[in-house]
Amino acid sequence: MSDRQKFIRNFCIVAHIDHGKSTLADRLLEATGTVAKRDLQEQLLDSMDLERERGITIKLTPTRMHYNYKGDDYILNLIDTPGHVDFTYEVSRSLAACEGAILIVDAGQGVEAQTLANVHLALDNRLEILPVINKIDLPSAEPEKVKQEIEDVIGIPAMHAPCISAKEGINIDAVLEGIIKEFPAPRGSEDKPLKCLVFDSYYDNFKGAICLVRVFDGSVKKGDKIKFMQTNNEFEVTEVGYFTPKAKESDALFAGEVGYIAASIKKVSEARVGDTITNADNPAEEALPGYKQVQPVVFSGIFPVDGSKYGELKDALEKLKLNDSALDYQPETSVALGFGFRCGFLGLLHMEIIQERLEREFNLDIITTAPGVSYHVYKTNGEMLEVSNPSNLPEPSLIDHIEEPYVNAHIFTPPEYMGSIMELCTERRGENTDVVYLDEKRVRLDYTIPLNEIIYDFFDNLKSRTRGYASLDYEMADYRTSKLVKLDILLKGEICDALSLIVHQDKAYERGRIMAEKLKEVIPRQMFEVPIQAAIGGKIIARETVKAFRKDVLAKCYGGDVTRKRKLLEKQKEGKKKMRNIGSVEVPSDAFISILKID
Amino acid sequence: MFSKKKFSLYIHIPFCVSKCSYCDFCSFVPKNEQVNAYLSALNTEIKARAQKYKNYDVTSVYIGGGTPSILPYGAISSILDEVRENFDIKDKNITIEANPNSFTREKAEEYSKAGCNRVSFGLQSHSPRILSVLNRKHNFADLENSVQYALEYGINDINVDIMLGVPTQTLDDIKETLQRVIGLPITHISAYGLICEPNTPLTKAIEKGELMLPDEDETVNMYDLTVDFLGKHGFSRYEISNFAKEGYESIHNKNYWARGAYLGVGLAAYSFVNGVHWNNTENFSKYLSNPTENIENVEPETLETAKEEFIMLALRTTKGLNIAEYNKLFGADFLAEHKETIKKLIDENLVKIENGFLIINNPYISNAIIAEFFD
Repeated sequence: MSDRQKFIRNFCIVAHIDHGKSTLADRLLEATGTVAKRDLQEQLLDSMDLERERGITIKLTPTRMHYNYKGDDYILNLIDTPGHVDFTYEVSRSLAACEGAILIVDAGQGVEAQTLANVHLALDNRLEILPVINKIDLPSAEPEKVKQEIEDVIGIPAMHAPCISAKEGINIDAVLEGIIKEFPAPRGSEDKPLKCLVFDSYYDNFKGAICLVRVFDGSVKKGDKIKFMQTNNEFEVTEVGYFTPKAKESDALFAGEVGYIAASIKKVSEARVGDTITNADNPAEEALPGYKQVQPVVFSGIFPVDGSKYGELKDALEKLKLNDSALDYQPETSVALGFGFRCGFLGLLHMEIIQERLEREFNLDIITTAPGVSYHVYKTNGEMLEVSNPSNLPEPSLIDHIEEPYVNAHIFTPPEYMGSIMELCTERRGENTDVVYLDEKRVRLDYTIPLNEIIYDFFDNLKSRTRGYASLDYEMADYRTSKLVKLDILLKGEICDALSLIVHQDKAYERGRIMAEKLKEVIPRQMFEVPIQAAIGGKIIARETVKAFRKDVLAKCYGGDVTRKRKLLEKQKEGKKKMRNIGSVEVPSDAFISILKID
Repeated sequence: MFSKKKFSLYIHIPFCVSKCSYCDFCSFVPKNEQVNAYLSALNTEIKARAQKYKNYDVTSVYIGGGTPSILPYGAISSILDEVRENFDIKDKNITIEANPNSFTREKAEEYSKAGCNRVSFGLQSHSPRILSVLNRKHNFADLENSVQYALEYGINDINVDIMLGVPTQTLDDIKETLQRVIGLPITHISAYGLICEPNTPLTKAIEKGELMLPDEDETVNMYDLTVDFLGKHGFSRYEISNFAKEGYESIHNKNYWARGAYLGVGLAAYSFVNGVHWNNTENFSKYLSNPTENIENVEPETLETAKEEFIMLALRTTKGLNIAEYNKLFGADFLAEHKETIKKLIDENLVKIENGFLIINNPYISNAIIAEFFD
């Protein structure tokens, strides 16, 4: 170990949402003098407004702090991690860049599902864990009990865990001391060929894709030729540096350090998370382990409300993609909604983030079709198709069977809500695999459940059934054969492709009925009667009718009325142009939005 | 040989005895001096417009309002004298609007002598209840008397306005109104739906929930009843809201529907001359201070607006849209321009093509059908 490395600590913070991760991060920045208190925005590390509003960290901003402990200057690199299940892979790569993890547990609430999931990820990455009991200033705090729970549930010693209040700034020094004493210094050789892990990347308009890296071996400086070992792309380094938390250029990054590399990389997809950067002229023999390409698991169509904004939507997605290699999109044409894109997301939160960014940052009005998953469709001729768009499902006669993705879901809850949760999970075709009583106040329910069933409002439903007490985490399990059918909605005999869904056979009737009823409410009366039908294959399973309207204004029309009336009708026609045509039926864009919200 | 052009002339009288609850037209209850000042301004305007449109003859005159019949004796004669001094009125075709309770024997005599051959009475309903909802101050007996006075002085082309879809109005009310009206020796009926213009007392009362409009089905039944009843009694519908005995269709109004030129004089009057739309100011004192230089909203028609207005007006008539006329007028091919729309509407049985005319089958939803033809 070099002297340089002896005084470096690389660590992250794992916590359940709301347990105080961002607040503690802010306190650490403040206590180390990295950021003056007056410059601290609430939760500084969450750089996107959206994240701040939701209280969820998505993007990681690794920050270098200086701390003098017993006369020695230490460099502490805090690597923040996203807290949401959609971003598990990113979390795992960030963890891989660290030697230690602070585990924050709310003194009032104890261990939650996400905490546990991320602790397991940290343990998998062989990280040293420093438990910290937060929010001890609250009346509900039971730090001793929570310490015991950490030992029982997670199986790590916790009796000496610092008890702090990040919000009130109580006992922050104990955390800093713990970081230095408990976490190992990085090991690695500055003399070996360069090996550094890309644990995140983002796009900068001037510098191109910026890689956030942890150097494991060797060193890297401006002018070096580097190579990405997975993609084999080569670039010349234009800048290296670290964050304070603002980017600060430095001469070089050495083994054990955390920082960034800029190399005129055009797209973030060329700087993939998990890839290993080495020196092109003096390459490492093998890449760091753990690389995988993230696969989208939730899919939906995104269409501009105003069809003429297709170009703008395309540009916006391109820009988002620059910064978000997990976002996947392909052009899609819908009879009902016109030109748009079929997009793939890491999960529902990821989908919502993209939608909101399109709306807020790019000022686009969009229609998002019902989120779906990717099915494995086995045809009678033996061919297997991956189908994420219901419109692409082959004729029923050509299908042998369909498999759908399942997840392993873990729900933490107070025991009194178990019944209600089990009911919900059963409704959603879940299969209970385990029930673990953690203590008298907490139970863990494990379910195997189709992903398709939890991408609708499962989480909201879970929260409302448990007054917000239950928490959920899940990971992809496998594909299983299911009785799935395509549910179509017909307006005046024409299939409205944007409303087609792949659903479980047992749920098709109910869902078809609800959709038809809802459509009846949102489709305005037209010049003719509009039958609304829900159908499986050729079979109609539900029917509603929007009656024709019988009269519009029957006014007189003389002299000055003429121009006025023409303008009125022009306006009426303008309004019609905003409608989507399904055959001869005019459907307002917000009808699609509201119909897709029901469940 | 230079042939003179033609237009019809509209003269606006913006005065009423009281304001009807649904009215958002340019009208108000005047003071005496305002009436005199207005008549003098109107004369000034007529002179000035006649100078400007020397090469136009007047085919019909319509004195509307407001309530022209509340003007003091002699006022209408002097207006029409002024018109005749300045324009050639080619055909004897002069209509005056009147309220049943301000049309006296003396006025009938005056209007007849002044050249009026047609009078239009705003009855709206026979029912005192409905009239009170509308804040109208006459009754059915007033109409009976008025019609008699008109006939006594040879004004035998008589229109009665009736209104459908008024709060509290029932089918029986309509039936009774119609029955009573056709019992009189009249030639023409305008029956139109109440429009709730924003900020009128009636609209406010409806918004507050004090009054309720009849529902859509009820209103449609009222129209059905009206069309059916009037048809049986010799009044054919020739435009969405107009019915006439044979030979008594309104010449002045048909000029509007044929997109003929018209000159409007008086406060807030609309004009369409030489392909340009405009209107006079609605501001009374502004009009008085300069009755000739106060036009607003000058809008030359474009090919598109001309086509749209042609389609809109033609489709409102029972005869329908003359396809050949459209094609000739605009050097266009109507059926090709609107191929998809026409196919869709024919499929839905909403329009038909007969003898070169495109005709709306269901005039109750004419706005929606017409809007389909707009770009």
